[in-house]
Formats: sequence, structure tokens, C-alpha cells
Amino acid sequence: MTKDEIKNTVLRILGGIAPEADLTQINPKVGFREQLDIDSMDLLNFAIGLKKELGVEVPEADYPKVASLDGCVEYVMEKHAR
Amino acid sequence: MVANYAAMDVRPGSMGKPLPGIEAGIVRKNKVGEVEEITKPDYYLSETIDMSRTIKWLAEENQKRPVEGRLLLGALLVKAVALALREVPELNGFWKEGRAVPSKEIHVGMAVSLRGGGLIAPALHDADKQSLDELMKNLRDLTQRARTLRLRSSELTDPTVTVTSLGDQGVETVFGVIYPPQVAIVGFGKVVERPWAVNGMLGARQVMTATLAADHRASDGHRGGLFLAAVDRLLQESDKI
Repeated sequence: MTKDEIKNTVLRILGGIAPEADLTQINPKVGFREQLDIDSMDLLNFAIGLKKELGVEVPEADYPKVASLDGCVEYVMEKHAR
Repeated sequence: MVANYAAMDVRPGSMGKPLPGIEAGIVRKNKVGEVEEITKPDYYLSETIDMSRTIKWLAEENQKRPVEGRLLLGALLVKAVALALREVPELNGFWKEGRAVPSKEIHVGMAVSLRGGGLIAPALHDADKQSLDELMKNLRDLTQRARTLRLRSSELTDPTVTVTSLGDQGVETVFGVIYPPQVAIVGFGKVVERPWAVNGMLGARQVMTATLAADHRASDGHRGGLFLAAVDRLLQESDKI
């Protein structure tokens, strides 16, 4: 999977969780929580989405690493490379 | 005159029912000295709970689980509230037609904030009888359906008590507003690290503020305090609930 494909998939998962958000405006370096109205239930659904769509299981301890768009894409690429 | 009198189906500590032939009310004197009824006499209690053990247990438990099976603190809080209500049943039920009507079922209304504003508190039915895994599954399902406005009418109309957990929004203490005819609402704030003294020793612990707003016609501060103490005790034994 290319970086762009991963990025688009992550954005699609986010779009399912925060349908009201304009994801083209998202700052890829800043955490989702600061930009979208995300709570712990949304975060769990996001982690479940990452597993379903990208086959990556994110342990709770790694949540901070996938908390921004750039961080999340990098995390997924790293896991796919293994 | 309100009292617990013989042959009455009310647990100890409740405010009781009006003696036959007498109307119940909590009253105050107004500015000109007349007696007027307070129609919504609420009282508020707050308790800080050491959550260190609970959080540690939750993290360890979630490490063992696949992502779909992970638990959120919210499920534990609902379970602790539901079990504590068994011990202080006068907080679970309604105030209807001038009297307390405790409920045998414990349907916990979970306040869910809607995207773009608004709030809805659908019920988790028989929350005291559900396992943590069932509660978590139902909480996920309910939150999802609440946010897409696909709730069943019974879920909206029959909570017997409400829980509001604003920890995610980052507030430390939430004082709830009772949804009549319910008689109590339990609020949980964010888990924060704070200095905490035990046996004269100061340490850093993860703590959370639990509050209770309750209708004084149906219960009193003593019983409310016992309820919050029970929630605290149950959260310390998360592995058992």
C-alpha cells in the first residue's frame, strides 16, 4: 500500500467517526483530538477501523503515536513494512 | 409530615411517604413570610475517588484483549453505579404524584453528547445484571445509535437514573441536572494525577471526582453519601465487578 493510499484510508475511517468534520482542513501534524470533537469511544472506534481497514492492531499504549494524521500514516507504514 | 411508617415498602433511610391524609412537601419561608413549597429540592454531594488501581487494572486487561474487545472506563463506571444502586435503591426510580416510586429494574441512562451540540441520555437496560463485556458492547452500540439518531423509544423514555461522564471533555467535576421524574444523576469527571496523602505519606495518584445530584424528597445526604462510598468501593474491586 502506498503512503497516499494509507492516508486516504485513515481519512475515510476518520470521516466515518466525525462525519461533520471537513477533513481537507485537517492539520496533519496536530492531534485529531485538538481538531475534531473526539472522545474515548471515537478513539476506540478509530483503532477498530485501523485494524479492519489496514490490518494494524494498535495497543492502547500506542494511541499517542496514531493521534495525528502524519503520525498515524507513519505508524501504519512501519507496521506494514515488518 | 413525612415518615417511614410500619408496613411501608420503603428501605431505611429514604425520606418516606406522607402519613395518610397528609400531603408531603419541602417548604421554605418566602420574603413576606409565607410558606411556599420547593418543587425541586436537590442536594449535591462530591467525592474524590482514588482511581490508580482501577486504571492499572483496565490497562492490563486491555493489553490482553484484541482491539474490538477493549473496555472503556465508562463501562466500569456504569456497572459500579448500577451495583451501588442496589445498596441505595431510593436513588433509582422516580418522583411521581407526590411520592417516591423506586424502580426494581436498574436502567442507567448514559448521557451521550451529539456531534455539533445536543445531548441525549438513552438507557442501558438492567445494567446491574450485565457483565462488563455486555455493558461495553451495548455502550458502543448505544453511543453509535444515539449519534446517528437511531434509538428505540423505550431507550429514551425508561432510564431510572442518569450517569454523565464528562471526563473526555476534560472537566474535572460535573454537577448534573436531574431529569425529572428521575430522582438522581451521577457525574464523573476526568481522571487526573494529584498529590494524595495516605497514612501521612504524600504520593501522586490518579483521582476522579464523582458527584451526586439527588432529589431530597426521595433520599437524603446520608444515604447519598453511602451511595458514593459504594461506588468508590466497587471501583477498587474492578476485577470482581
